[in-house]
Amino acid sequence: MEPPENVGFEFETAEKIILRWDSTASEEARDKMIFEGDRQEVNLYLQAVDEIQRSMSSTSISDDQNKVNSAIQIAMARLEDEFRNILIAQTNPIETDSLTDPNSSTSSGTGGADFDDDVNGEEEEDGSMSKDDELVRHNSGVSSVSSSYRSTSSIREIDLIPSDTIFDLRSIAERMISSGYLRECIQVYGSVRKSAVDASFRKLGIEKLSIGDIQRLQWDQLEAKIRRWIRAAKVCIRILFASEKKLCEQIFDGIGTAIDDACFMETVKGPAIQLFNFAEAISISRRSPEKLFKILDLHDALMDLIPDIDIVFESKSSESIRIQAAEILSRLAEAARGILSEFENAVLREPSKVPVPGGTVHPLTRYVMNYINLISDYKQTLIELIVSKPSTGSRYSGDPSTPDMDFAELEGKTPLAIHLIWIIVILQFNLEGKSKLYKDASLLHLFIMNNVHYIVQKVKGSPELREMIGDDYLKKLTGKFRQAATSYQRATWVRVLYCLRDEGLHLSGGFSSGVSKSALRERFKAFNAMFEEVHRTQATWLVPDSQLREELRISITEKLIPAYRSFLGRFRSHIESGKHPENYIKYSVEDLETSVMDFFEGYPVSQHLRRRSQ
Amino acid sequence: MPATEYQGSFLGRISIRRNQVIAMDGNHEQELEDLELFQKHVADRFGELLAQPSDEIPNDPLLSIAWLRKLLDMFLCCEAEFKAVLIMGRDPSQISKPPLDRLLPEFLDRVVKALDICNAVSIGVDLVRHYQKLAEIVVSAMEQRPLGDGQVRRAKKALTSLVAAMTLEDGSNTKSTERTWSFGRRGSGAVANKDRAAAQFRSLSSTMAKNWSASKQIHAMSSNLVAPRGNESSGLALPVYIMSNIMVFVMWALVAAIPCQERNGLMTHFQVPRQLAWAQSMIGLQEKISEEWKKKEKKGCAGLLEEMQRLEKLGQSLIEFTDSFQFPIEAERLEEVKVQVDELAETCKKMEEGLVPLQLQIREVFHRVVRSRTEVLDVLDQAGKVSAPSM
Repeated sequence: MEPPENVGFEFETAEKIILRWDSTASEEARDKMIFEGDRQEVNLYLQAVDEIQRSMSSTSISDDQNKVNSAIQIAMARLEDEFRNILIAQTNPIETDSLTDPNSSTSSGTGGADFDDDVNGEEEEDGSMSKDDELVRHNSGVSSVSSSYRSTSSIREIDLIPSDTIFDLRSIAERMISSGYLRECIQVYGSVRKSAVDASFRKLGIEKLSIGDIQRLQWDQLEAKIRRWIRAAKVCIRILFASEKKLCEQIFDGIGTAIDDACFMETVKGPAIQLFNFAEAISISRRSPEKLFKILDLHDALMDLIPDIDIVFESKSSESIRIQAAEILSRLAEAARGILSEFENAVLREPSKVPVPGGTVHPLTRYVMNYINLISDYKQTLIELIVSKPSTGSRYSGDPSTPDMDFAELEGKTPLAIHLIWIIVILQFNLEGKSKLYKDASLLHLFIMNNVHYIVQKVKGSPELREMIGDDYLKKLTGKFRQAATSYQRATWVRVLYCLRDEGLHLSGGFSSGVSKSALRERFKAFNAMFEEVHRTQATWLVPDSQLREELRISITEKLIPAYRSFLGRFRSHIESGKHPENYIKYSVEDLETSVMDFFEGYPVSQHLRRRSQ
Repeated sequence: MPATEYQGSFLGRISIRRNQVIAMDGNHEQELEDLELFQKHVADRFGELLAQPSDEIPNDPLLSIAWLRKLLDMFLCCEAEFKAVLIMGRDPSQISKPPLDRLLPEFLDRVVKALDICNAVSIGVDLVRHYQKLAEIVVSAMEQRPLGDGQVRRAKKALTSLVAAMTLEDGSNTKSTERTWSFGRRGSGAVANKDRAAAQFRSLSSTMAKNWSASKQIHAMSSNLVAPRGNESSGLALPVYIMSNIMVFVMWALVAAIPCQERNGLMTHFQVPRQLAWAQSMIGLQEKISEEWKKKEKKGCAGLLEEMQRLEKLGQSLIEFTDSFQFPIEAERLEEVKVQVDELAETCKKMEEGLVPLQLQIREVFHRVVRSRTEVLDVLDQAGKVSAPSM
């Protein structure tokens, strides 16, 4: 029977080395780091560790086991410190120069200038990556016309630590893990790398804001932050996190099970949550119309990032991060839908009761049309997000406070298009309400004409919008403003022209009888007064669109001038044969023509109307 | 819908959202009944939480992981009922008249603070997992046989980190110093260990906004909580008041239990009037937890989470053991220590099994609360009474 083996000579040598480097035992051991020194020393030490580990299994004498275990613990404690030290020495916040292509211009996209202002990284990376390498990488990528962020359009891992250092780290990790010191290893790794990620976050300008903070900020401040976040998030996911993941794999791959995943999560879980919290806070902020487009930007950016998030966080232990990203995306979509609803609500309810002077285009009209123009710019995203029709306005709802609309007429249109049409419908509904504020019926019609015309022009001016609204509805709108123009003319001019009618001027007996001079004088006076009043008033009205203005004036002229000319022709002699004809025939045809030019200019006329041609 | 169905003038407005508008008449009775039920359920649920463990019904110890999970479950139930009472089938204009026009925005403001607290507590749970892992090192080392110097030293190192981290003032040194480790900090001395723990703690807890303070949030949440009086106390002001109190309590309990940024001066006094029936058990719980908190606050504690307390207690005791350890160890002492190590292992197991689900539940609470807030905001907007949104 063989005696139980004692620990052998090799063990004693190894043990000596381990003890020499026991940092609890000597000043010298504390002051120097093995891995910073001679390569020989490093190898010797590692061999010593291996020898001790081997001795574990080959001894069964309790005293010896104690010695061996003790030596292992000292070695592991030492290796832990070495590991930490190597990592710290290699820890620099990510080189921000390497994140942007120095060649590209800060052209399109979301304001390149801001980002450059944030960036102030000047540290050298540890010789791992020269600028040339960076350029080569960039130029070999897909060329695009966008801005300096082409480098963040897809995952791009950077080598955070040079490979010979990785080798050292691996040799330490292997030994720690095979001695059962896995937890210590993960903790050291996680805490150092996480600090590095935190520092990179600071450089990228990623702020820590609570939901409460974000609720209190003004929206325009938040817009800037959102822009910055979008840029930073791309860098974080595609470069920073991806590189950390790669680093974990480089160090821990093949050593134990899923240790690289554990280390990766230790490193990035906190920062990832911090990153997403901002987007989440935005997605739950109160809904108001002006937020739509930035929220869509955020939505699109996140949607673009999701595939890469899924890759970087593919392990089981990082599932919660993937889930959170998906949740935020869905909240942003919901927010967009909610805001659109809010907007429709706001248009319907917009309560201003001050009639816009001169019957011109109402600010609400401008706002709404600009808004839906922007919506059509975001058509690509919104078509995906808006999937249901507006939840109101079926025909014959009987509700007087919302317009009717038969959605059945709009078969075949996307829900988004239906929403846009609906918005125009409720805009008009609101405007109709506002038009009733005008006491003057003519002004009411002019107002409607102006505003509907504006709507038509805006729709025509945007191909996407026009395509969605459709020519059918456009025709309806066109008809509407033409009708309003007609109504205006009737309201104003029927009574004016009534003064120039034939009936009632002749003494009984028809044409061949004489003309009542007094009636005629009354007519002329009435006409003059009415016309003057109309002229004075309607010069201050405004038709902002020059073509429409011209058309309207021509239309007026076409009715007014022939009627006046014919009236003058038939009856002037009667007046001129009496006293003071100038009191009655005040205006020549040319005078009238000129006066019509004053109409709808939007400012009062001076008293130069009386330009009786001499 | 035929116009004859509508009775009041404001019912003639079709709401743009999909709220079902119900007939007004004859509903007041139902409403009162619902309110009564709501209060009863609240009282019952809190009663369960307060109940002492007995032989028939083993209950989870106060502020243990399991207890917290029950608390959150209960919160979700109350929340759902609250929403039903407040919003479902209700005409928007009812919710926007006084006193709700003032009370609801205040409520929503509390909600926002609660959301931030959920986030902070979730981060805190990660910190607790960190403690768990340190404890697991201790267990792993101390379960080795034969138990030798190496294992004990290893355990001691972990224990020192653990106890140091747990007794650190949380959040008071939130200056996230960019420290590069100078040479003098290396080594495994006790000082270095404590520094390491400090740095780890800082890096783990540095995710909330700089000046954010859990205790201030709780204080703000409860500062404008006033019990409805007179005829207000039978209307909708009451459920809002009840739910607000529940929310404050739950958040407060979480903050007391889980390490959380800046808990100095965490309030221990609540103003819920004692005569309110639904509040009795809740008040009882508040008193118990407050007492515990006051005891621990002086010493600087990471939190009242029962498992953490156990970790701390066992940790201290085991440190003493490691200090006096000599190899070889007598069988009797080994037995003694084994009991403690087993308890430690048991606690770690509870944490391993419970902490992640707890985090998921906190997230679920977050979701629900966000959803309710959105729905309340929608209803308020419909009523058209919401002033220009500040956000």
